[in-house]
Amino acid sequence: MTTVDDAPAAGGATVLQIEDVAVYFGGVRAVDGVSLTLTAGKIFGILGPNGSGKSTLLAAVTRLVPLTRGRLRCDGRFYDRLPPHAVAGLGIARTFQTVRLLEGRTVRENVLLGADVAAGGRAGRRAAAQRADEAIELTGLQSVQRLRPDELSYGYQRRVEIARAIAMCPRLLLLDEPTAGMNRQEREEISALMHRLQQERGLTQLLIEHDVQMMTDTCDYLFAMNFGRLIAEGAPQDVVRDPAVQEAYVGKRRSRHA
Amino acid sequence: MTLQALLDALTLGSVYLLFALGMALVWGTIGILNFAHGVTFMFSAFVAHLVAEQVRLPMPAIVVIAVATGALLSTLTQLLAFQPIMKRARDYRTAEMRILIGGIGVAAIPLAVAQRISLGSPFGYQTSSYRAEVYQVLGLRVTTTGLIILAAGLGIGIGASWWIRASRQGLALRSIGVDPVTASLMGVNRSALALSTMAVAGGLAGLAGALLTYHLGAIASETGDTFLIKAFAIIVLGGLGCMTGSVLGSYVLAAAETVVLVNNWGSWVDAVSFGLIFLVLLVRPQGLLGRAEVRRT
Amino acid sequence: MTTWYYTNIVLIQSTFTTLLLALSLQVPMRVGVFSFAGVGCFGLGGYAAAIAMTRFDMSTAESVAVGTALAGVAALLLGLLVQRLTGLYLAMATVAFTLIVSVVAVNGGDLTGGAGGIFGALGDLQTWHLLVAAVVVVALLAMTERGAIGRRVEAVRENPELAASFGINVTRYRVTAFTVSGVLGGLSGAFTILLRSTVTPDAISFHLIVLALTVIIVGGWTSWLGALVGSVIFVWLPSMLDFVGDWEAVVYGAIVALAAVFLPEGVVGLIGATVRRLRRVRRRAGGAGAVPAAAPDADLPDADAASPAVVPPATRGVTQ
Repeated sequence: MTTVDDAPAAGGATVLQIEDVAVYFGGVRAVDGVSLTLTAGKIFGILGPNGSGKSTLLAAVTRLVPLTRGRLRCDGRFYDRLPPHAVAGLGIARTFQTVRLLEGRTVRENVLLGADVAAGGRAGRRAAAQRADEAIELTGLQSVQRLRPDELSYGYQRRVEIARAIAMCPRLLLLDEPTAGMNRQEREEISALMHRLQQERGLTQLLIEHDVQMMTDTCDYLFAMNFGRLIAEGAPQDVVRDPAVQEAYVGKRRSRHA
Repeated sequence: MTLQALLDALTLGSVYLLFALGMALVWGTIGILNFAHGVTFMFSAFVAHLVAEQVRLPMPAIVVIAVATGALLSTLTQLLAFQPIMKRARDYRTAEMRILIGGIGVAAIPLAVAQRISLGSPFGYQTSSYRAEVYQVLGLRVTTTGLIILAAGLGIGIGASWWIRASRQGLALRSIGVDPVTASLMGVNRSALALSTMAVAGGLAGLAGALLTYHLGAIASETGDTFLIKAFAIIVLGGLGCMTGSVLGSYVLAAAETVVLVNNWGSWVDAVSFGLIFLVLLVRPQGLLGRAEVRRT
Repeated sequence: MTTWYYTNIVLIQSTFTTLLLALSLQVPMRVGVFSFAGVGCFGLGGYAAAIAMTRFDMSTAESVAVGTALAGVAALLLGLLVQRLTGLYLAMATVAFTLIVSVVAVNGGDLTGGAGGIFGALGDLQTWHLLVAAVVVVALLAMTERGAIGRRVEAVRENPELAASFGINVTRYRVTAFTVSGVLGGLSGAFTILLRSTVTPDAISFHLIVLALTVIIVGGWTSWLGALVGSVIFVWLPSMLDFVGDWEAVVYGAIVALAAVFLPEGVVGLIGATVRRLRRVRRRAGGAGAVPAAAPDADLPDADAASPAVVPPATRGVTQ
């Protein structure tokens, strides 16, 4: 049974606070009262089966979807009344579930789109180029930066998405199912990348996934969701063994067959 | 509004209905906004006129020719323009605009042909053997043409609304509108159904064209374009995807236009449909009978 | 040279005014806004300029300024009004707006000259005025097609949610594009009417919308160059193809339909795609060294072994 004492919140600065957030679409309760806190420098995860409300929660946090109830805080300041385009200014970056790269632009230009954030003017352009270069280096994309998305494999396209997000030099990175459709090798690459970002930049990250292995390998702290609610939280190994979580994935434990 | 004006509005509404229904059928089910629908309407009537000039024909024959021409034109449009566009488009949004543009392009062709041959003058069915008879009923001026139009409009309007809700093919059509991929997985032959729907819509446009020409005595090459915008207003007013809405919308528009005409604001008549489009889209985008959409991200 | 100029002066001036009108459709399209309001603003600008000159005795420059400014303001208000509409609905609302302008012109009484329109509004516009205006407009637009702004505009068009998550105020881009389209349409209208000296309500018709649309569909809507190419083609084509004669409209329609099916990005898009394909062929022929062999970063495992970066053409495009 996980307890709140395991939470790494103790002693870390709070980057994001989600307070009793609910998102209803007509009669559908996609998110039904979720509260959680993200502290600086850690890799968090939200685990849950399809339809558990993970992506909707992410959309709510990035203000793409209006809150039915609840409040959002970044660095202690409320931001749940801000428009979607103000979220980037708070230092929150995200990747999407589907690859959303600009097809007509090279990898480098796509990454520059992220680097342009908070850039402006002459000095801004050089600084943006530098941020883009660093992001490209971190994600190992140097050799393909002049190519276009449709010339890359799916795994590499995903990496461009991540490079674009970190080129923003964010304080918090939200990743929405970044390894969907990848094989184990590719998953491990992404996991390694996330650890590098944590070590080299102290980047706080929130990973949304439904692949259990990926979560236990990557995250420091795990939340589990089902039916729009949190059903467990704590250290990954513990959350994964939590009976409520197992039930969500595997179903209720039945009597043994002969 | 006087009773005569009401009768005229009902007749006009019935013509609008026959035209708009075809467009609503196609748009509400297979999701194609066919900009060539107006020209199909006009050209079908025109072809019937050309034939009637050579051979003295009764009204049913003329109507049949118009319906057949309309069905053929729409089928060709679907085969030669819309289907290729949909095959090549990356996603639905780009396909939508390209179909709109393709329809506009395709429409220019029959329009130019008709303008060239008719030399800009209106055309009618004076050479047909049919002569409208006028009756005085309850102080109202009623023509046989008007009665035919009313019967056709109401009959087909109600029939189509019922058919699309009650029949298997109607269900198949509606399923394509909701989720094309799943529909085809369920065995719905999308391209065949799309083709036949376009053919039916074209036939309806031809019917409307022939009947309107009889009703007014003559129409011009440009009449199709005006009708196109009116049909859009009707569909938007009634609510996309709802046949009954288009039926209702047709009569509402006709009534509004008749009010304007009767009060001698004749030059503002066209503005009624333009203004309606604006008003509905801004105030109640789902139309009178449509349901408000709740979008999940 | 000068005789050629004077024989074709109408066509040359037409090229510039058509270019501005085409740009009034192209600018919002680049942002993903399907608006035909530029054509309505062409009418507003033309009428305003004609009214300024004939009813208020303003000079040519003043009339053009009034026409352009009025059109711009109208477009701004319209843009704010229809911000929540998208796609086909937005397109049709702007078509409705354009046609309403025509109806208002017919019913405008003495101010707009009713169905007969206004005549005698002859401005002293020279070709070089048009040239300078066109060059300035094109230069400004070209700047928005490159660098950071170019990328952001593309993001707004391709994926507004994505754009928002990268700090781009999508609504502001859209309304700005709307306003610019009004200014360009109004400028084109003011120039055209003051050159022709008359304006009638028929000038603002669905046919004009089709014409402007044809120009950018065939030329290419992704950049100002497409609008220029399209304008040149459609202004000069009739004089080149004399045999087309009366069937000109049929030919236009066929071209638009073909372009809609086969050339979604117009002539300019086709040229661009061909150039890129040639470059790719040359790159690939230049040796497998173009493909990343080993990631320079030791921490990242050799990507090629498990997940090659560059996908051979045969297996590409299986994403949908």
